[in-house]
Amino acid sequence: MSVAATFASPSSKAPSTASLAVMLLLPIALVNAVGFIIPVLNLARMSFNEALPGGGIGEALTLANWQSLVSDGFYLGLVVNSIGVSLLITLITLVLSYPIALYLHRSSGRWRTFLTVLVISPLLTSAVVRTYGWIAILSDQGPVVQTIAALGFTPPRLMFNLTGVIVGLSEILMPYMILALLAGFGRLDPRVEEAARTLGATPFRTFARVILPLTLPGIALGCLLCFVLSISSFITPKLMGGGRVFLLATEIYDQAIVTLNWPLAATLSMLVLIIFGAALGAYSRVLRAID
Amino acid sequence: MRKTRKTLLAAIAIALAGSGSAMAETVTLTGYSGIFQDHYTKAVLEPFMEKHPDITVQFYPMANSAQMLGTLRAQKSSPQIDVAILDVSVAKAATDEGLFVPIDESVTAHVADLYPAARSKGVAGVGVTFDNLVILYNTDEVKEAPTSWEALWDEKYAGRVVIPAVPDIQGTTLTIIANQMAGGGDYKESVDAGIEKLGTLAPNVQTWDPKPDVYQPIASGQAAIGIGWNARAQVYSQESDGKQGVALPQEGSGFQINTINLVKDGPASEAAKTFVDYALSPEAQAAFTEEMFYAPTNSKAQISEQALERTAAGSMDKMIDIDWLEVAKIRDGITEQWRRRIIPLSR
Repeated sequence: MSVAATFASPSSKAPSTASLAVMLLLPIALVNAVGFIIPVLNLARMSFNEALPGGGIGEALTLANWQSLVSDGFYLGLVVNSIGVSLLITLITLVLSYPIALYLHRSSGRWRTFLTVLVISPLLTSAVVRTYGWIAILSDQGPVVQTIAALGFTPPRLMFNLTGVIVGLSEILMPYMILALLAGFGRLDPRVEEAARTLGATPFRTFARVILPLTLPGIALGCLLCFVLSISSFITPKLMGGGRVFLLATEIYDQAIVTLNWPLAATLSMLVLIIFGAALGAYSRVLRAID
Repeated sequence: MRKTRKTLLAAIAIALAGSGSAMAETVTLTGYSGIFQDHYTKAVLEPFMEKHPDITVQFYPMANSAQMLGTLRAQKSSPQIDVAILDVSVAKAATDEGLFVPIDESVTAHVADLYPAARSKGVAGVGVTFDNLVILYNTDEVKEAPTSWEALWDEKYAGRVVIPAVPDIQGTTLTIIANQMAGGGDYKESVDAGIEKLGTLAPNVQTWDPKPDVYQPIASGQAAIGIGWNARAQVYSQESDGKQGVALPQEGSGFQINTINLVKDGPASEAAKTFVDYALSPEAQAAFTEEMFYAPTNSKAQISEQALERTAAGSMDKMIDIDWLEVAKIRDGITEQWRRRIIPLSR
């Protein structure tokens, strides 16, 4: 073993592989540094600048923006609300997408290709267009509300509130969830299911003890993706929330574009980045636990 | 000397470009995109360029004042924009950051003819348009033009009212109007009464964030009544064939002021001053009022009777004097009150 190792890495070859790796990584590292890391550092610094009334940015360094996140109940509620809503949307998307992904995984041939295209096709239209579609469907003059009213019930408000945002975002995120689930279903071998059935397991037991555990990596990946996408999504809450739904992404927009409080917007953006980091951490923990 | 240099430069430019126009100076103006750009180009830029064939004015459109401030900030070390038309409170922030140079008698003699409200202390630029808040209504659903802001509170319109909420300044203006309606006294002291009054409006509201703007849902009938800015409302009223109506209520209204500003170290400073001088002239002011119904800021502008009727010029005595620079200081507090005491009542 040790002899093989000595032979496998002749000393002359090691630096050239390393320098090749550096050369290969350099372009993307440069792009990331200029396009991502420097702006994020700039944002982090701005979160410690003082916000002046009327949109000015003071030069003085201050902790006031971060303090207001903790002391102002509104921002604390905003964070809790954003995380809660994103988790709920992730859960709804998972429940709706899982059966579709499982069916897709089991189908084959042309039928599978057709269904896959069907699942992916919503991604070809932008979220803005699909959100406007939901507005037409859920508005007070739309088919859903009209049908409920025609059946003699008092129709609930489905639009310009949290309900609308949840419905819209869940649908918009479904393709991502289905694709992530499919990618994580690699370990699901039909023969294992057949073995469970021949050993006398009921369909439910097969699902709970065999299929679900084997598809957990896919579920974890899909949930991470949907959580991150929904907490950072801005268009759908803005268009469907009717100004009643306060989330981190819409608040960052308001502070940056309308109120011109860039330092506070920077602070909230850093907070979202921290939440992303936490979500990634939770994901890798879940993966390790599965393995 | 300068002329020969210019000719030389022009020769070089032509030689370099192969073909190309004579070296006309280009003034870059930034302002609101959409209908503002269309109408301003037609009423002011085109006549100006006809009068000054050696100057080209390029309109660089942006969605809102905040975006303009962001761009000006980013270009601070080497500005690409010469003139900016933006909201007065944003202009104050830009002035504080040293992005503008003052417009006074040395830039244009027209400054002396401006209404006092067009000149705000601490703002480098001067007012170029006045606008005011109005009631918008769908003429199919609201048969008679509303005469009072109280129409928004009418139970008939439950779930059919659209209000652009704070931090949009239309919401801020409505707060000040409501405060006066409720007898709340000086808005600079407290807007408590106004906040309370708007709380009773909340159950009627369909959306606090109409998209793409407030005019569209009303013209299309998605909503029955709402609030918006007069100039745009007048244009959309024409464009929608009267589907969307405009009413200036008897209680009066508040002004919004767009200022024109000279960017510090802009690339075409002399030509930019020539343009600012024209933009504030009675001629350009009148032309833009006839075109888009912003009230003029130059007191010498001669406006036709029909156009004047569609601005607030006839109801000046009923206007609430809003000091936007003072409002900027209390804006955060107003936003907070809306979020705690108004919007939650509308679910």
